[in-house]
Amino acid sequence: MSFTSSVQRGALVLAATLSLALAAHASERTLDTAYGSLKLDGVPQRVVALGDSALDAALSLGIQPIGTLASRGGDDVPGYLKAKAGKIALVGSVREPNLEAILRLQPDLVLASNELSRELYAKLSLMAPTVIPKGNSFQDWRATYTTYAQALGKAEQGQQRIAEIDARSAQLRQRLPQNLQVSVVRWNPQGPVIMSSHLFVGQLLEDLGLHANELAAAQSQKPHSDVLSLENLSRVNADWIFLATLNPDGRKALDDARKQPAFTRLKAVADDHVVTVDGQIWSSSAGYLAAQQVLDDVEKALLD
Amino acid sequence: MPARLSVPKALSYAALCLLFLCVASLLLGAGDIGVLPSLQALLGGNDEDARFIVFELRWVRTELALLVGLALGAAGVLLQAVTRNPLAEPGLLGVSAGASFAVVLAINLGASAASLHMGVAVLGSLVGCVLVLLVTRLRGVGDDPVRLVLAGAAFSGMLGALSSLLLLWDQRTADEMRFWVIGALAGRPLDTLDWSLPGLFAGLTMALLVVRPLAALALGERVASGLGHHPQLARLGTLLTVAILVGTATAAAGPIAFIGLIVPYIARRLVGSDIRRTLGLSMLLGPCVLLLADVISRLLVRPYELPVGVVTAFVGAPILIAVVRNHRLPTL
Repeated sequence: MSFTSSVQRGALVLAATLSLALAAHASERTLDTAYGSLKLDGVPQRVVALGDSALDAALSLGIQPIGTLASRGGDDVPGYLKAKAGKIALVGSVREPNLEAILRLQPDLVLASNELSRELYAKLSLMAPTVIPKGNSFQDWRATYTTYAQALGKAEQGQQRIAEIDARSAQLRQRLPQNLQVSVVRWNPQGPVIMSSHLFVGQLLEDLGLHANELAAAQSQKPHSDVLSLENLSRVNADWIFLATLNPDGRKALDDARKQPAFTRLKAVADDHVVTVDGQIWSSSAGYLAAQQVLDDVEKALLD
Repeated sequence: MPARLSVPKALSYAALCLLFLCVASLLLGAGDIGVLPSLQALLGGNDEDARFIVFELRWVRTELALLVGLALGAAGVLLQAVTRNPLAEPGLLGVSAGASFAVVLAINLGASAASLHMGVAVLGSLVGCVLVLLVTRLRGVGDDPVRLVLAGAAFSGMLGALSSLLLLWDQRTADEMRFWVIGALAGRPLDTLDWSLPGLFAGLTMALLVVRPLAALALGERVASGLGHHPQLARLGTLLTVAILVGTATAAAGPIAFIGLIVPYIARRLVGSDIRRTLGLSMLLGPCVLLLADVISRLLVRPYELPVGVVTAFVGAPILIAVVRNHRLPTL
């Protein structure tokens, strides 16, 4: 009896030391994902990042994914990540990831967005551990980013990156005028839609002490409103309007908008407080690199 | 089908209806400016917001609805007469699809100027028309209204597949293309009316030229020849007219289906099937139906708006089923 118990105790001590050692190297980790907990081990070498946010997270943590998806409204890596991503295989579009192309890359880790369907998740999981962060696009962007960072074995660095953004936001907030209202608008050929203020960019703007406009705040179920009647265009008005399109050339959207008398009547337009921004960052991505760009844009628009 | 109304009577009813709908279109909208403030603005009130919405927004789209409705109503009657088929409709037969596909292709190749859209759209709908003509020459298809519609559905399906292919090629077209799938009257560029008016006038002038030959053709090819008309020339001329009208309407407001089905259907019920009686009436009924659909599209999902093409499809589909279910399909 005393023999077995001492063996047991010895085993326990050994296990404890081992797990401590492993934790120090961050090689074995358990992730809380959308489809249950996932155990990962070691440093991933062949990462496929499905979605702009996943790619943003990986690149910001110094990891070069080998494959990714064409971004929404484009046929390539989103412009702001292009240089960092370098030569990277495209394995489909956001709407249709190409499973065969992904399999050919033989990934050892797949980072997917929370928009991915359960069926695709099940198939991807057969190829490699697949990480889908909890929640939807209304989730705090930090939580999604943290999940990706943990999956990549860079939890600590991920926290540092988030802290950098938070510190920059806090500092920028001090310098920005108080009580400004802003709105983020996308001008589609069918007409204007306002982006919900609860998404990634809205969260950042809130941290900067910028208030969301009423209609944007009301979009709590959908990422953006339906196409707004031009008669109601005044509802997108704010002290500053950030105008985005899914294509990087927001200028063209602005040109279209400027031809509409309903748009030129807005007070923000009269004050020349309309800023064109890259919709790939402002309306469909999230992460550290995107956050830096958004803060750059805001700083440039409101302070220069 | 017996004529139920005399033409002048039907025309004056339709004109009255149109006037009423024009006023409704100026008074009703998705915004906060209700009927009374709108009426005051219309009668010279000073509320700047109301004046802006009534004169700059609703006025413009009402004008556009008149133009597009007129073109589509006339095109519907002509297409039905030339194919001798009560189901022939630019939307159903793939003529509109041809027009919008041509525009999408042009956008894809880098074009963007609105005036180019119109030429391209007319060309695209002309290709659609010629295909329709070829299909009607096929044995067994030309005499069967439903088969012609099936052929049109197949043609539209093919164009849809091609459009998807273009989309895969170039995701950038996606945003701009969505407009060319279902048409809308709101927010079109301000010069739309300027460049589409000549197209409308050209189309209508040609329509007046082909009415008599078409009416003669309805009596049979031999009779038409005997009366001194050239059947093949009349057919080609009519299809060219339809192409110009549909191309103009599509370039101005995107593809709007079913107007060309609903309007001749109502016109025939009112005054009988002779094209000399229905054409003028359809030119009034077309804007009526489109204006009604547009007003509905503004009121259904306030403060947002539906594209008017969605509403016309909702109204048009039951009429299509009604016509098909009717065992005694009128032969034109």
